[in-house]
Amino acid sequence: MNRKRTLMPDAFRTKKRRFGADNLIGNPEHGDVQEGPPDVKATLQYLMTLFPRKLFNDSLPQIVLKHQLYSLHSDKTLVDKQVNELRDQGELLMFQLGFDSDTFALVFSVDYRAKVLAGEAGRATLGTVEKFLDKVLPCCSDLSFSKDKMLKQFLFTDAEITQLVKSGVLTVRDAGSWWLSIPNSGRFTKYFIQGRKAVLGMVKKSKYNEILKTDLEERRTTSHVKLHMKYHVHDIIGAELVECIQTTSGTLLRFVDT
Amino acid sequence: MLSFLIARQTGVDEPVRLRRAESTRRVLSLELNHDRDVECIHGNGINTIDIEVIEGRYMLSGGSDGVIVIYDLENNSKKPHYTCKAVCTVGRSSRYVHKFSVETVQWYPHDTGMFVSSSFDKTMKVWDTETLKPAEVFQFEGNVYCHHMSPIARKHGLIAVGTKDPKVQLCDLKSGSRIHILQGHRGEVLSVKWSPRYEHILATASTDSRVRVWDVRRASGSLFTLDQHNGDKSKASSESVNTAHDGRVNGLCFTDDGLYLLTAGTDDRMRLWNSATGENTLVNYGKVVNESRKGVKFTVSRGCSPEFVFVPCGSSVAMYGLHTGELVTMLRGHYNNVDCCEFHPDYQELYSGGKDCNILAWVPVLRHPDTEDEGADSRQLFN
Repeated sequence: MNRKRTLMPDAFRTKKRRFGADNLIGNPEHGDVQEGPPDVKATLQYLMTLFPRKLFNDSLPQIVLKHQLYSLHSDKTLVDKQVNELRDQGELLMFQLGFDSDTFALVFSVDYRAKVLAGEAGRATLGTVEKFLDKVLPCCSDLSFSKDKMLKQFLFTDAEITQLVKSGVLTVRDAGSWWLSIPNSGRFTKYFIQGRKAVLGMVKKSKYNEILKTDLEERRTTSHVKLHMKYHVHDIIGAELVECIQTTSGTLLRFVDT
Repeated sequence: MLSFLIARQTGVDEPVRLRRAESTRRVLSLELNHDRDVECIHGNGINTIDIEVIEGRYMLSGGSDGVIVIYDLENNSKKPHYTCKAVCTVGRSSRYVHKFSVETVQWYPHDTGMFVSSSFDKTMKVWDTETLKPAEVFQFEGNVYCHHMSPIARKHGLIAVGTKDPKVQLCDLKSGSRIHILQGHRGEVLSVKWSPRYEHILATASTDSRVRVWDVRRASGSLFTLDQHNGDKSKASSESVNTAHDGRVNGLCFTDDGLYLLTAGTDDRMRLWNSATGENTLVNYGKVVNESRKGVKFTVSRGCSPEFVFVPCGSSVAMYGLHTGELVTMLRGHYNNVDCCEFHPDYQELYSGGKDCNILAWVPVLRHPDTEDEGADSRQLFN
């Protein structure tokens, strides 16, 4: 009998969705009113379009932060699972940007390869970087590499590791281990942190520390905010730096005092 | 719901499915009820609540002023409006009252003749409920943050105590000895919990960001330490390798079947672990605000499917689905920080206490009768 296999929650599907003024479930943005598993890849592609390529003279691949996905999908666990699946398949790469141990950046592998090789063209380190991209990235989806691993498992020499660090593909983590990183991403990190602070400042300075999301997106950005406003808005919602409240005039963002 | 009833009646479903469905429906409709009140005795914040397991009738509460109160939760008046009265108190006038704040209270798991309380005055007292005098007092060198007695233990009567000292002490109720210690932590032990599945398994959480699981029969150290990255050493910075959280771990709770362990830490995260292997199930609850310097007392629902976690978050209680990690609702009603919450499994009620000296009862909302039935009833009354 099929009944024994159905999950209990199916009986409560309508009751569980409590639509009140303080409902945190359900985000009408992007036509996403739940039902069905979240399509993380499509959302990633949408978020990638918000990344300003011209600003970095096309030298950086499009970077999306993992918590920006949480602002578009309500079920964080499923999002995490799908991201890990994409990483295991080799389509997505995850990086630690360095300013927060919990913030991860996501880049499509194809984009990353293209930009890194384009950046390395004509330099002496091109060969080593190519070797690294071909040998290490397809099989190992780690965020950091220890000296042991590099020398024994992947058979890189010390000189080659120095070349990789010089080219920006590896960044020092501590004595004898390195983070995987995006070359020339320092500027991105700087603009990102600056922009995040400026946008949060805008929310804080509003009356009652709250502002409608549509109002915020339409505000004139100061010179501190170099990335797209929507990019920052997804970031602050996903990182839970502001509280998202559904009102009759749309989504309200209220600053969370911690 | 009618389909569940008919299925049970005809024997298509097991009886427990109807019970679980109704329990889950009730838990999803928890609300503050103006008919239910708990008498306000504490003059200072309430740190801990415990409801006895045998009848579910008496509730203990411990406050920041050292006062311990016992309430009777049963509604014997025929009216719907009911205040849970305090049956007795160990007040400031008692000779044996704790000098500083009471951090943890727990009923003796097998009957209500005894309860144990531990406090910042570096003592743990075993009280006789009849006379309200301590039958035994254990002295410690540092503040006692928490203690726990195993709810299922038959072979031992050990109380695990977490104090400022990194060593976890086990006090034996039967002999009064306290020589058994568990060494391994490097910081204050903020929370200890026995497993409700195996009477010798104990989990402890400490300010050194680690959670250790022990088998008290083993002579050497802990069985394993919980690792938030599941052994993936590349993900974290080198300091946070093999830690359960990126900050102090201050809350522990086993689920009712003992298969999963929940931990809460000051990195604003809550994690769900498989208690047999120590694997992080990677359920993402989002930001669970946690600024407590001491332990956080949270609880998991019992008898529902799916289960829910109730966690004090600032001045409200957040309710999350256990395995999905989604926030179901925030229970708002307290005027100040909420410190503890306790679930009553028989009635699916939640009691929460906080710094505003109130214990609030969250009661499932009853289904209102249809207007047609109401009309028929009132006509019958007139006849």
